[in-house]
Amino acid sequence: MDFLSNLQLGFSVAFTPFNLMMAVAGVTVGILIGALPGVGPPSGVAMLLPLTFGMDPTSGIIMLAALYAGTMYGGTITAVLINTPGESASVVTCLDGYQMALQGRAGAALGIAAIGSFIAGTVGVVLLMLVSPALAKWALSFGPPETFALMLLGLTTCTLLAGDDPLKGYISMVAGLMLAMVGFDIISGDARYGFGIIEMMDGIDFLPVAIGLFGLGEVLHGAEQAGKAQPVQGRLRLRDVLPSWADWVRSRWAIVRGTVMGFSIGVLPGAGPTVASFLAYTVEKRVSKTPEQFGKGAIEGVAGPESANNAAATGAMVPMLTLGIPGSATTAIMLGGLMMWGLRPGPMLFEKNPQFVWGLIASQYIANIMLLILSTLFIPLFVRAVRIPYSILMPLIVVFCITGAYSLKNNVWDVGQMLVFGVIGYFMKKLGYSPAALVLALVLGPLAERALRQSLIISDAGIGIFFVRPISGVLTVLALLAVAVPVVRAFLKK
Amino acid sequence: MRSADRVTAVLLLAISVAFSAGALKYYSWWGSGGPGSAFLPFWLGLVMALLALMMLFKTIKEKNPGQAWLPSGEGLRNMLVVLGATVVFVALLKVVGMILGTALYLAALIWYLGRHRWWITAAIAVAAAGFNWLVFVHWLRVPFPEGKFWLSEAGIWIF
Repeated sequence: MDFLSNLQLGFSVAFTPFNLMMAVAGVTVGILIGALPGVGPPSGVAMLLPLTFGMDPTSGIIMLAALYAGTMYGGTITAVLINTPGESASVVTCLDGYQMALQGRAGAALGIAAIGSFIAGTVGVVLLMLVSPALAKWALSFGPPETFALMLLGLTTCTLLAGDDPLKGYISMVAGLMLAMVGFDIISGDARYGFGIIEMMDGIDFLPVAIGLFGLGEVLHGAEQAGKAQPVQGRLRLRDVLPSWADWVRSRWAIVRGTVMGFSIGVLPGAGPTVASFLAYTVEKRVSKTPEQFGKGAIEGVAGPESANNAAATGAMVPMLTLGIPGSATTAIMLGGLMMWGLRPGPMLFEKNPQFVWGLIASQYIANIMLLILSTLFIPLFVRAVRIPYSILMPLIVVFCITGAYSLKNNVWDVGQMLVFGVIGYFMKKLGYSPAALVLALVLGPLAERALRQSLIISDAGIGIFFVRPISGVLTVLALLAVAVPVVRAFLKK
Repeated sequence: MRSADRVTAVLLLAISVAFSAGALKYYSWWGSGGPGSAFLPFWLGLVMALLALMMLFKTIKEKNPGQAWLPSGEGLRNMLVVLGATVVFVALLKVVGMILGTALYLAALIWYLGRHRWWITAAIAVAAAGFNWLVFVHWLRVPFPEGKFWLSEAGIWIF
């Protein structure tokens, strides 16, 4: 069978000692990074991306994907222990997880999150494996109009779901697209908005921008609150992490529901783990026989969202690998990495680089097992990492931001750019804009522009091409709906 | 928040108008058979101008000045110190060198923010600089700025 031989190929790639080591390193560093308050998956992936440039792309993506899974879990540790989400997908975990910690049940909360993440992650990889090849085959028939419509949909849904204020979300997104216009235009050769500066003519790289917005921006934001968050005291031993039978019975269906919902949401372009976790929490509260316990330490309130965000993180790989459309800031950065390694994400990836795709899929199985082992056996160690004072963490993170930005192209210009976007990121966070939408737009911008211009060449400048073709028609209408929803909602409010 | 939004809206409006106008003035609107390099930038500028106007309109209608969003006191001071130290580090990167700079930056900032014991501060600074050297210079062969001081080059000699 074609499928099994592919999987076999995948495992033969993933089981090489070096790739195995990369998966373990990715998960470990991921949990640590996720556990640091304020440093989430996007900044973790962005800061470590430069490390992978010297590697084989397959090893690189294996490390980054393992890192992504690790940060998803690491964010839970801070959410439970200090009521500060390590990343946005763990925001809802604070609600019940921290309450559980206050009741002395931090171990059970972390344990059920680990088990839920493991189940969700593993089921997610199975689904990823089954869905992606079919989707890739289907996407082979996509022309420029379909590609453009899909990118438009990804951008608008991501923006719609990103923050409280849709207007500011759209401003962030369009700003990202404008930044993407800087630099040489591939078709005409014009150096746009370069102002005669050679580095500007090269375009604005997404990596220093992402490191600045997510890494440095978060540090500056955190510097204000330094020392305010206090971790729940008490030691956690291995025995405490294992949930009791009653805990398991209460959360097992929550895990199943979270997994299914999380994966489905992750697959949608634009919607990622954060949305999945919020939705899972709402659903758990709805179906629960004792909804009054939510917010007071209900273990389902931890199990559901935590399973959902891991399943969604895996699901988000589907559009990234098969369509070349990232569903979140983190996958956008990974996609940028793929392009830097000289790979072309999209349907052809499955045919041209099977060892890359299947190696990644197989290593996800390994990463999930690693995650379960590390998150239960070494939990006391990671808990200690959460207690490192902010005054030590923050300068270290900045140093990582600087070296990461520098080693992209070995120049100080990028470091300066990172610094500027760090300040911009600080203000964006303060004023309620969406850095995720900006980075997504910056990565997709050049691809979207090319698809748009090719479409208009095909149609001889008629905009109807996006509506007449069935697939692009549906996608374009959906994208426009995503723009219209907040407008209509605001109108109805009056 | 309201006045910050208003200032942002005006700024964005100015930038977007310049962005669109610049596209029309300097780049080609229509190339061979298809849209040229000015096409998308022009529309993006226009959309941004529209969004900025919407925000401006919203802040004018809004009666509530909103909460203060800028930190004050110690929070503001910490933020500015971190930012300032980082700017100085980056500005002097080519003079001091990456490895030595890392150690000095960490030592200064960790001491300022936490007032930890001097040997803890020093140990972290030296360890992080060493880690940086090992991973980036030694393994990945990233040509870090070496700086004008003998220390950073001597650092490489030792290994």
